[in-house]
Amino acid sequence: MSKKRRKKFEELVERFVELKDTSELMIDLAYSSLLLNSKELAEDVQKLEQHVDKLHTDFELLVLSSGFEPKEGKDFLGLIRLGVVTEKIADAAAEISEVVLRGIKPHPVLKLAIEEAEETVTYVQVAENSVLVNNTLRKARIPEETGMWVLAIRRGGKCIRPKPHTKIAAGDVLIASGYAEGEEDLKKLASP
Amino acid sequence: MPRLEKIKYEPISVRELFLEMKNLSELMIDLAYSAALFNDKELAEDVLEFENRVDILTYLLGMEIMIAARDAEDAEALVGVSKVASAADKISDAAADIAAIVLQNIGVHPIVSAVFEKVAERLTRARVNEDSILIGKQLGELDLAARMGVDVIAIRRNQQWIIDPKGGEQIESGDVIIARGAPHGSKGFKALAEGKLRKLED
Repeated sequence: MSKKRRKKFEELVERFVELKDTSELMIDLAYSSLLLNSKELAEDVQKLEQHVDKLHTDFELLVLSSGFEPKEGKDFLGLIRLGVVTEKIADAAAEISEVVLRGIKPHPVLKLAIEEAEETVTYVQVAENSVLVNNTLRKARIPEETGMWVLAIRRGGKCIRPKPHTKIAAGDVLIASGYAEGEEDLKKLASP
Repeated sequence: MPRLEKIKYEPISVRELFLEMKNLSELMIDLAYSAALFNDKELAEDVLEFENRVDILTYLLGMEIMIAARDAEDAEALVGVSKVASAADKISDAAADIAAIVLQNIGVHPIVSAVFEKVAERLTRARVNEDSILIGKQLGELDLAARMGVDVIAIRRNQQWIIDPKGGEQIESGDVIIARGAPHGSKGFKALAEGKLRKLED
């Protein structure tokens, strides 16, 4: 296969992975918005939904312009359908966040179930004596230490979306997702 | 057209029903992508079976919510549960759509699968090499979720899939394992399974 063609495939897959990851992040964020009854997080989900719509259109255009052979048509149809699915997932996440935005106070049962689920979302406040304070997220190595990844940080009533260079401050509330088993480790790290 | 079974009321709590829906719908997504990208029909069929289960759970949850609502206030509180459950149902439908791609022989280009295995961070497939230190260990004792943020969602052994294996499941040489989790952990897990990493970190 030519180098050029290989590159085209790599680009296609990268775009698809971005769609897939974003739609799954949205589910986690949507459940977090329920757990915390946070309109900000819910709005983030709505914004991401619009972003996914755009990503999806770009992805479809890229597939259609990739110059495939007639016999490869089916394989590319599969790719297009996978793209459609990521959008459906993003829509479902947006519907979850809509409940919060409509001012319906999430039922305690939802909170309980989200906390109990295999893949859970949780939140911890960073204490002054935590090793995380004044560290960037990259340096804090939270996923490596706890298996949980930080979805959002609530600081001074606002929710920010974390970047690797984001510095953690005492008093921050970290909203993280992962397997329930990592929750204790995260709590130990944030408030020893 | 498969015959749809009649759904009878069962006294299961809303919490339990929703918890199972949430867990299943998310597991299904990962299984379905794995089925599509690794072109595995059996895995795809398992996804469809789960989809049927989530449909039934949606009905049962609906019934439970109706019984629980006594007044307008209850109804306002519970309508959110019903909306969220229906979103979980949609997620499971989306997973079934992916499974259908595989079962209808549409498939995904083999090169896509090859590239995907390199760039995907959340989903890994690994074959357990005969010199892997994972062999003979139980999933429960490995405690991969706590150790590296990775969860084993399916094991292929003797031409069969073991879906969502429990803690007592022992890893054998030659197993093909699908795991999901944090990017860092997924890579480490693959290396452990393939025998390239010989030490389990705490």
